[in-house]
Amino acid sequence: MTGMDAILSGGLQGYLVVALLLFAIGLATVLLRRTLLMQFMGVELMLNAANVALLAFARFRGGDAQATVFYLFIIAVAACEAAIGLALVIGLYRHRGTTDSDRAAGLKQ
Amino acid sequence: MFITFAFVTLLGALGMLLQKNVIVAGLCMVATFFGVAGLFLLLANPVAAALQIIVYSGAIMVLVLFVIMMLNSHEEEAAQTARPVQRWVSVALVAALAFGAVKLVLTSAGLRAMAVSGEPMPGAMTLQKVGTTLFAEHLLGFEVAGILLLAAMVGAVALTKRDL
Repeated sequence: MTGMDAILSGGLQGYLVVALLLFAIGLATVLLRRTLLMQFMGVELMLNAANVALLAFARFRGGDAQATVFYLFIIAVAACEAAIGLALVIGLYRHRGTTDSDRAAGLKQ
Repeated sequence: MFITFAFVTLLGALGMLLQKNVIVAGLCMVATFFGVAGLFLLLANPVAAALQIIVYSGAIMVLVLFVIMMLNSHEEEAAQTARPVQRWVSVALVAALAFGAVKLVLTSAGLRAMAVSGEPMPGAMTLQKVGTTLFAEHLLGFEVAGILLLAAMVGAVALTKRDL
């Protein structure tokens, strides 16, 4: 199976390419968008890219259940991150009336 | 099938990056999460696919959309200072990173060998297998995850409450 075939038929390399592109788009979102909520969504995208790579490797190495358990823990931590991150955005909005990360460069009033 | 889900995933992500309206960007992201869930199904892992849809497309995205609507920040605010240099440098950096990494993956002999002779999978992942592994080998981790979720819940309430 050569490189291009592996991508088109969904071999390991195809999944890894999708994960890499997803990660790149997430990183671009964090770097280019100024709204904190958009940056937060970019972080979630990067987290998802890592999950795709993890489960793709697990599948092509025999489908061990350990990877799915690990994925469960990652999802738990992602849920915590979402709750705390959004709470911080709301707190910032209360103090500054903005969700623009440029306007929150210094946290002291 | 793989191509379909890969396209849904990447187009959703691109739509999120380029969309001006934050709500529409959030809905594009839901499409991405569904695409990723489809990829998990193709990886013979329906447990992960179900978790992905319930937790990401369900819980986390509802949370994000609620916060967007609560803060009324549908549109991106006008830039305080235009930073063209930083923006173009970051675009170039991300493009170089993506291109280099994809090239590395496609030319790696080890990955190709693994994709061809990858160990055969005994069957699709079942909830029973995951549950057995979770409670037999990772009981401590499970409890710690529970405490972490509780701490995050208390922290989120403490952060958002006006006067505790």
